[in-house]
Amino acid sequence: MVSEASTIIEAIAVNFSYREEETSQVPALSRVNLKVFRGEHVALIGPNGSGKTTLLKLFNALLIPQTGEVLVEGISTSNESEHARIRQVCGMIFQNPDNQLVATTVEEDIAFGLENLALPSSEIRRRVDEVAGLLGLEHLLRQPPHLLSGGEKQRVAIAGVLAMEPACILMDEPTSMLDPAGRREVMSTMHNLHRDSRLALVHVTHSPEEAVHADRVVVLDHGRIVKEGPPEEVMTNLELLHHYRLQGATAVELAEMLRKDGYPLSPQLLHSRELVDSICSLEQKS
Amino acid sequence: MFIGTEKLTHTYMPGTPFATEALKNVSFSIEKGDFVLLLGPSGSGKSTLIQHLNGLLKPTSGKVHFDREVIGKEKRSLLHLRRRIGIVFQMPEEQFFSETVYDEVAFAPRNLNLAENQVDQKVKDALNRVGLAAEELAGRHPFQLSAGQKRLVAIAAVLSLEPEVLIFDEPTAGLDAAGKKNLFNMLEYFNRQESLTIIISTHHLDEAAALVNRVLVLEGGRLIMQGAAEEIFSKRQELYDAGLALPPVTEIMHELRQKGLPVSTAIFTLDEARQEIINLKRRRYR
Repeated sequence: MVSEASTIIEAIAVNFSYREEETSQVPALSRVNLKVFRGEHVALIGPNGSGKTTLLKLFNALLIPQTGEVLVEGISTSNESEHARIRQVCGMIFQNPDNQLVATTVEEDIAFGLENLALPSSEIRRRVDEVAGLLGLEHLLRQPPHLLSGGEKQRVAIAGVLAMEPACILMDEPTSMLDPAGRREVMSTMHNLHRDSRLALVHVTHSPEEAVHADRVVVLDHGRIVKEGPPEEVMTNLELLHHYRLQGATAVELAEMLRKDGYPLSPQLLHSRELVDSICSLEQKS
Repeated sequence: MFIGTEKLTHTYMPGTPFATEALKNVSFSIEKGDFVLLLGPSGSGKSTLIQHLNGLLKPTSGKVHFDREVIGKEKRSLLHLRRRIGIVFQMPEEQFFSETVYDEVAFAPRNLNLAENQVDQKVKDALNRVGLAAEELAGRHPFQLSAGQKRLVAIAAVLSLEPEVLIFDEPTAGLDAAGKKNLFNMLEYFNRQESLTIIISTHHLDEAAALVNRVLVLEGGRLIMQGAAEEIFSKRQELYDAGLALPPVTEIMHELRQKGLPVSTAIFTLDEARQEIINLKRRRYR
């Protein structure tokens, strides 16, 4: 069980509105309380405009709550002198990889954040090589980033964040602009990182197929957390998902239709492999 | 042939050390009223091909045909061409430049030097066609809208010229499930009820696969497959090797078939999948 000591991010009664002066404006986030624990993979889902990206930006001090507080390893994001440290602890990956690569070669790009930490060059070299090895980018180190595929670019962006040795990576729809191969590439990179290190992932996604792989799913609607729990509980609750204009994963939606036709399928069924195996064994029995 | 290419080749930066052949000998033809899916991994030449179809790029060699004419033969025909073929680019709302929704949609008709009352009619029709309430939204700043509404305004801006052909480059990126569904319902209506020819490039196949009647697959600048959806999506391994994927529900049917169940794999919607699985039982009792 996770203990209090392992909390990385804590949002306490956070309110945030993009237009302070307009009180009639619906706030982007209201009364949000959420903790993210070390090593945990959290998927944030919700319709457009529900506050997912806003919450992510509050987590690494790109935005500061108007009331309430965000603590990153116990440090409040309202403390401006700590912003560099907070962003080192919580790195961010954006939707469009083209908007976050800054250097002329892959290795310079990975090293960019490290150079700003004024580390000795031998340490920079060591960390760049280490993360490149971890993410399978060794052969691309001297390439200009703009010649890479979408999936490769996104992995370079992840490598740049990873080189800062963060405790948590925040990802805003990291796969939505990628092709299927790029999506597979980035998702398996995320899973490996999560499995092999104690890295926490907070992952905004519109894809139910991605959300089912998280440890915990948080559903946002109109700036409020309306549900949170393990994917077996949240991502199988189609009534809830549909109510908030969301979709279940294909296997979950299909399983629900078949249940209505009398197929005795487990209510916890989440993945297509489980659905395929269940149908096959039902067919063999009959 | 309504739209097509003949041995179309396009080289970026020809005659320099950076010369890249983005399209190689691409030949295809589509008919009036077709709904075409353009598939291919990132960097395969999809956007380059799309830009040839309304004369934004000129072939290095080969020809582009539209309605019995060769595109780009005479300069004066380009304006005419762009009125008939509208392109909605990726993340089109990033290119908004007007202060109001109305001005954004009116931009193209005003450039045609139409009388203001004609412009007005075209703006209202276009907003109406994408399901936005003109009275309510016309005066709003585009950035005050939700992500889904912004995308619809961008589409209305293209519709304002009443094109016969609509081309979409990844129209659902960043949209939630409901926004995606709404967009595809609209495209289906344009195609089935208004007889528009539609070409769409997308990686989100769960909605698209069931709507299209033709699929073109690009890889590395070459057209590697073209045919009906049933035919293209039966080639699972080839698609996978090209960095692509099947629609999620089709993938489930392939997996069932691999396990020995006699199901069809030409299945693109949840309803079809449900029916096909139920039919397994019926077949057995016969």
